[in-house]
Amino acid sequence: MLITEHEGKALLSAYGVPVPGGAVIRKPEQVARWRESFPVAVKVQVSSSGRGKAGGVVRASSPDEAQAAARDLFAKQFNGEQPATLLIEPWLDHLRELYLAVTVDGGTGGYAVLYAAAGGVEVETRAPMKYAFGDPGSFRAHELRRLLATVEQDGAVRERVVSLARKLLYMTTAIDAMTVEINPLAVMPDGKLLALDAKVVRDEAAAFRHAELADALEQARRKEHPTVGKAMKGNLMMVWLDGNVGLISGGAGMTMAAMDLVAEAGARPACFLDCSSNPTPAGYALAFKLLDAEPQVQAILVSIFGGGTHMDRVARVMQDIMKKRRSHKPVVFRLNGTGRDRADEVMRAAGLCNHPTMESAVDAVVAQVRSS
Amino acid sequence: MSVLIDGSMRVLIYGIAGNFGRFSAKDLTSHGTQVVAGVAPGRGLKDVEGIPVYEGARSACEAMRADAAIIYVPAPGALDAVLETFDAGCKVVVYPGDGLPLQDAIEMRAAARRYGAVLVGPNTPGVISPGKAKLGFMPSLCYAPGPLGVISRSGSLSYEVAWRLTTAGIGQTTVIGIGGDPVKGYTAAEAIAALHADAETRAILYLGEIGGNDEQALVQYAAMGDAKPAAALIVGSAAPPGRKMGHAAALISSHAETQAAKVAALRGAGVQVAATLRELVDAAQRALATALARATG
Repeated sequence: MLITEHEGKALLSAYGVPVPGGAVIRKPEQVARWRESFPVAVKVQVSSSGRGKAGGVVRASSPDEAQAAARDLFAKQFNGEQPATLLIEPWLDHLRELYLAVTVDGGTGGYAVLYAAAGGVEVETRAPMKYAFGDPGSFRAHELRRLLATVEQDGAVRERVVSLARKLLYMTTAIDAMTVEINPLAVMPDGKLLALDAKVVRDEAAAFRHAELADALEQARRKEHPTVGKAMKGNLMMVWLDGNVGLISGGAGMTMAAMDLVAEAGARPACFLDCSSNPTPAGYALAFKLLDAEPQVQAILVSIFGGGTHMDRVARVMQDIMKKRRSHKPVVFRLNGTGRDRADEVMRAAGLCNHPTMESAVDAVVAQVRSS
Repeated sequence: MSVLIDGSMRVLIYGIAGNFGRFSAKDLTSHGTQVVAGVAPGRGLKDVEGIPVYEGARSACEAMRADAAIIYVPAPGALDAVLETFDAGCKVVVYPGDGLPLQDAIEMRAAARRYGAVLVGPNTPGVISPGKAKLGFMPSLCYAPGPLGVISRSGSLSYEVAWRLTTAGIGQTTVIGIGGDPVKGYTAAEAIAALHADAETRAILYLGEIGGNDEQALVQYAAMGDAKPAAALIVGSAAPPGRKMGHAAALISSHAETQAAKVAALRGAGVQVAATLRELVDAAQRALATALARATG
C-alpha cells in the first residue's frame, strides 16, 4: 500500500535520511500552528500519485494565504480521495532536483536502485538509470558509483547519492517496502541532499510481521465499497467493477479470463470475485449473499475450474445454496476440474445445468442480462 | 526429454501432515511421481499415506535421497522451509503458497542461485510433464503428452487452457507455472530458455496477465531468428487500471502493462495472440502448424 508523504518522511527520517521539518494539520484553522518562516508549501496527503500535476501542492507566502490554500485543498478530491490531512513545510530554495529510488524489480527478481540527474514531475517520461543487484547482500556501492558516473557529472553529488541509496536499501528491507522513492531529491545550496517528497509503497504481504501495517490495512479496508469490505472480511478477493454480471470464480487468471469473455460478449462484469482463498460453503454462501443484495447485478455466472478444489463438493454446496436462496436472479454454472464427472451428476440430480464450456455459460448469462 | 522434472526425481513433501500435504501425497503418487519422504516438524508422525515422515529436510534427504521438494507451509514460515530444503540438497523446489513477502521471494531466488538449484513459485500450482512427472497440485485430468510447451502466470487459467488443448488433441511437453507474484523464483525468461532448449517442445504457449513486464521476455525471444513459434493469451482486458486483480502482480500501473499494449508488442514480434479464451486453441494450432511447416519445409 502507498502510504502518505508525511508517514513516508517520518520513516525516512527514522532511517537517517534528511527531510524538511513540517507540520501535519487536519483543519484549515490549524495553519496557525505553523510558527516557522514563510513562504511554505501546503501539500495534500493522499494515497495516490500524480498529486503535483493535480494541483495538490500550493505555495503560500503568508499565514492568510496558507489558510486559504488549506481551505481550498481540504475541499477538493484527488483521484476520488478527500484529503484528511495536509502537510506544511518551508518552501526551500535549492540548486537542483534529482530522482532516487530503491524498488523491487520483477524482471531480475530482486532490488534495484533508480536514479535520474533531473528529477521532478516529468521524470517518468524518460527511463532512469537502473542498478539491479538482486538480494540486499549483493548490493555493491562501487557498482552503483560506476553506473552513476554515466549519468551524473558531479562527483560530490554521486558520493552523497551512493550513501543515501545504502540507507534507502536498509529501510526498504527493514520495513518491507516495495518502493522507496524520493522525487524530487533536492541539492541544497550547501551541497547536502534533502528529500522534498517521499513515495513509500509497503508490501501488504508482509503485514504479518508489522503490526502497524496490519492496522493500516484494516483501516483501508473500512473505507472500501461496503460489499468489497464484507467480501474481504470473509476472505474472498473482490474488486468492484460496476457492471451487471456478477461473477463467482476461482483463481485470479480464470476470474480475469471470465471478465474478458463477459465483456467480449457485450455485458459488463460487476466484479472481480475470486473465491479460491475460501472455497468453503461459507465462502460461496457469502459470495451469493453479496451479489444477490446488489441491485445492479442482474445475473450471476459461477465459473470455477478446480485443481485442489474438488468440484463434486462445490456442486453439492451450490445445490444447497440454490435450495435456500431467496433471490430470483438467474444463475449460470460452469464447474470443471478435479471431480468434474461427479459434479455433473450432482448438478443433474439437483435440476441444475452445468455448462460444458465457459463460452456457452458466458453466452447464457449475457442472454439473461439482455432479456431482463 | 522434459523440462525441470523427470520420472527419476525423488520428491520430498514439506508440510505433509496438513490437508494439502496429504492430498498432494496421494495425488502425486497416483500420477507416478516417487514421493519418498515427508517433513512435519514437531508432529511426531512416523508416516503419512505410507510415506515416511521426518523432523527436518536434512534427515529426510539423507535417509531417502530426496532431490526435489514441494513445500506446503504458510507464508510466515515459507522462507525458512525453502532454505532448509536447499541446505538439504534439493535441486528443484516448488513453493505454491501465495501472500509471500517480496523480500522473502528475493531471498529464496538468491539462495536458489547460490545452490545451483531452481525455485518455482511462489503462487504457482507447480510443474507437470504429462505422462512423465509432476511436481505440483494441478488436476492431472487436464493434461496429455504432446509437442507444446506451456508457461503460465496463473494456475487456474493453466488448468482451463490445458484442458482445452488436451480436448482439442494438442498435448504438452511441460507446463510450467511461473506464478502470479512480481518476484519469481523461475522467471518467464528462464522458462522460455528451458523450453527453447527442449528438443521435444515444438512451440511455446504463454499465458500472461496485465501488470508487470514478464511478457517482454517473450517479445524479445520471438524476435530472435531461431525462436520456436509462439502463441499467447493475455487476460485482463476488462480490468481497470490501478486495481490489483487478485494476483500481487496483476495491477496496471502504466500503459505498457495493459492487455492491449502487451498484445500489440507480442503481435509485433510475430507471436500468435488469442484475444480471449475463445481463440486460444486456434492460436496454439497456428504456432504448431508453423513449427511443422518449418520442420518439413
